[in-house]
Amino acid sequence: MDVTVLDRQQATYPLELCASSVPLFQSYLGSGPIVDLKRPEAYLGGDGFHEFVYFPVGGGPEFGDSEKLNLVPPDAAPGYCISRTSSCQMTAFHAASMKEEREDMILEKMESTTGSDSRESFTKRKAEVVADHKSKDKRIKGEVEGESEVKTKCSTQVSRNSSKENSKACEVQKPDYIHVRARRGQATDSHSLAERARREKISKKMKCLQDLVPGCNKVTGKAGMLDEIINYVQSLQRQVEFLSMKIAALNSRVEFNVENLPIKEFPAYVANFPAAAKLPAMPNLTCFQLNPMQKEAVNCMLNETMHPPLTATEGIASASVSIPEQALSSSTITQLQPFSTWNMDPQGLYNVYDMGFH
Amino acid sequence: MNNPHHLNPTSLKSRFTTRFLRALTKIRAQKPISSSSPTEIFRRYRRIKAAADKSMAYSVRSRRIWSRAMLWKLRSRSYRRQDPCSGRRSGKTNQAIMKKSSNENTTTRREDGVGFVEEADELRQLVPGGETMNLCNLLDETAHYIKCLTTQVQVMKKIADFYSF
Repeated sequence: MDVTVLDRQQATYPLELCASSVPLFQSYLGSGPIVDLKRPEAYLGGDGFHEFVYFPVGGGPEFGDSEKLNLVPPDAAPGYCISRTSSCQMTAFHAASMKEEREDMILEKMESTTGSDSRESFTKRKAEVVADHKSKDKRIKGEVEGESEVKTKCSTQVSRNSSKENSKACEVQKPDYIHVRARRGQATDSHSLAERARREKISKKMKCLQDLVPGCNKVTGKAGMLDEIINYVQSLQRQVEFLSMKIAALNSRVEFNVENLPIKEFPAYVANFPAAAKLPAMPNLTCFQLNPMQKEAVNCMLNETMHPPLTATEGIASASVSIPEQALSSSTITQLQPFSTWNMDPQGLYNVYDMGFH
Repeated sequence: MNNPHHLNPTSLKSRFTTRFLRALTKIRAQKPISSSSPTEIFRRYRRIKAAADKSMAYSVRSRRIWSRAMLWKLRSRSYRRQDPCSGRRSGKTNQAIMKKSSNENTTTRREDGVGFVEEADELRQLVPGGETMNLCNLLDETAHYIKCLTTQVQVMKKIADFYSF
């Protein structure tokens, strides 16, 4: 029975195709003995399998690395052979004729590349063909499930990357395609494979976002999480607006100058604001913590030898020395009180915000 | 710099802080200090907010889609303010560019196949430059944008606290 299958294969394809399409051959060959599906062990250890493997190799000396081709079957072929069995039984021959052009293309590609790379890339291109074949026949889903079981058995036996068309992230030298594992009972055509890959990428990213956004763990489902993320982004943006409003208000009120701040060290200061008192490099700023000393602090700051970025600001700095003193002559506490009310009541600031619009 | 509390000078936080402080000093230098009417405060608020956004976008440079979009938006706004005619021209060319890129991406955008188009669109409106992103990129950009926003909020909070003494 096998021989007849082979004869038919050889009739449809020219001889030179045989050697190059060794794995392809096995796929079709594997479709022959339908009975063996029930006995997957036959593939793994059976001699009949090896017959399939070695038969066509002799027919293709013109492809140079016949030795390499010899090597291919025992390692890579099992995966193919077995993986193809289920899907290819009935449709292989129908598909074969349709795929002739495809084989020609594959053959051309095979010719262009040489060495082990050709083997790898060819097996990868096989993935396309295999995927197409599988899509043709969804009736055999049951056998696809059986196949995946066989495949797992097979992969434990074969150390090289077998089941190339379906294994994810194996150590391939030429990552031309993204490999996704087909799960049980799932369609395995190229479109749904790509879709599944995308969906998994997206869910991975959603998980990262979940870590960033607080309170996302309680919500389940992607839509709920997206809503949480949207709310969080909105709240952050509103906070930025609120804080810039606050700074604007404070800017107009409190009159000490920012230019005299040690700009290079300010980031560090900002970073550990509570511990500012401990920073030895900025003894002046420690005065800021105490409100009654604010006037003195301002003077200290102004006297500090800084390098203001704009020369014009120096004039302003000197001009504004008097203003802070006047501003601070009034009790600092009364100054701070409106701020505290504003802190408690963002509504006040928002009123200002609204007024600005009208 | 043995102090463990000192920031890495190349971190996003320090870059943003230095830029923002410089912008703040510029703003204070421009305006007279006396006025504190609500309109003045509002105008200043707008300026400070723009400065904050600009500093953040510049700190990220052009590495991200959202930062590029934000920079473009800010620049076009400033061009429009300086010269209305040129603003219209630049606005048109830029809009043409944006439309083209959005047309290229609309097919990928609509055929997400994942099922949350409404939320995705809402997110696109929030993240600058989001209209031209497919869902995959949108999620990436959102994550980075959230990180930058939190940094921004932290720094601005500290500055506001610092001022409010």
